Amino acid sequence: MPGYYDIDDIIMEEEPISVVFQVGAHGVGLLDPGSETNNVENGAKVDLPFWLAHELYLRQAVSISVPACFSQKTRKEIQADAACVDLRIRCPYFYELGCKIVPLVSDKSIGSFLHYAFTGRYKEILSKSHSASVVTVPKFSTRLTKEESQLFEAARSSMLAFKKWRLGGSRLEKASILGRKRKTTIPACPSTP
Amino acid sequence: MAGQSDPHLSIFSAPELEFLAEDEMVEVVPNIRMEALHVICGDFGPFFPQIAKVPLWLALALKKRDKCTIRTPEWMSVERLTQVLEAERESPREFQPLPFHYVEISRLLFDHARDDIPDIYMVRSLIEDIRYVRFHKVETGLETISGRTHAVKLKNLSAMEVNIVRPFMVRALQAFYKHDSPQMIQQPQTMGSRRPQVVDRGSRRDLRPR
Repeated sequence: MPGYYDIDDIIMEEEPISVVFQVGAHGVGLLDPGSETNNVENGAKVDLPFWLAHELYLRQAVSISVPACFSQKTRKEIQADAACVDLRIRCPYFYELGCKIVPLVSDKSIGSFLHYAFTGRYKEILSKSHSASVVTVPKFSTRLTKEESQLFEAARSSMLAFKKWRLGGSRLEKASILGRKRKTTIPACPSTP
Repeated sequence: MAGQSDPHLSIFSAPELEFLAEDEMVEVVPNIRMEALHVICGDFGPFFPQIAKVPLWLALALKKRDKCTIRTPEWMSVERLTQVLEAERESPREFQPLPFHYVEISRLLFDHARDDIPDIYMVRSLIEDIRYVRFHKVETGLETISGRTHAVKLKNLSAMEVNIVRPFMVRALQAFYKHDSPQMIQQPQTMGSRRPQVVDRGSRRDLRPR
């Protein structure tokens, strides 16, 4: 499981989540752009990054509401056609965030919803990535989340490497540094008498 | 080091696989006499103008220096390949037994030993068709995996084909495992009683019938 050192995990935890404060907090008015004093009221709705929301949840200071990317609107779109939904715009870490949110939020159907979305898009990824044509790629790959695009890239790069090998050519590649001509600075020697 | 060209995916690169394929034995007919060769992996006996079994790398080296002719392996004849192609087309879930490195061996022979293979264009197009049909079978099989799949069995798949699908399949299985774990799909809790979490083994999805 990715943990402390995984870059994708770290970036994913920066995603903003909207939370509702259950207690009043002093001195952290920075978090709530709408507060006049330097405090956050009880019951205020604030956007926090996921790592902060998680910690405060464990201390029972906030309650986490479902992020917008798992809303009913997205669900309906995915049920209509999973493969065409542009998940990267909504949330590039759709699946990872969903996995992390599941134990924290009261809505229990997120897990199966994620699974359904992934299964639907997986078929598309499978067929597109192995066809190895340059044309269809740019439109489709911009709709994928980070996790899916890693999957896509893995398949595509191995397919392209195979095609390149199949075309033939010598196995030994000339090092690029040898391509540059060196200037030979032989000074013109004076003719000997 | 072989297999480490891309540490994240840990696949072999295609030239590395080709290098591994060169260890297969082929038959050659030398056209010179030479005394025995003693190399690290063994001794290759004195060469007379009769059939000798040598590894492919040695056969290619001799061929480049015009010292032998390579006999095509018996699986690379037109009749045998047409049989294999027919069988591949008929059975949608099975793969026909083919030599493990058939893609690499055929490519090396096409490149270096063109004149030794009878009907080379026919053989080439047959091998391409076979490869295409098999890969298509792999893809259709991959569509059916889900979170219940604990392992995927691909019998008779060749080295190069395995290498192409390996990173994708590993990642896909990991992703499905992550999404389909019991804590993610939470069963609706009935009042009071808790269903024991039985790990369901699920049905084995073979890509070939048992």
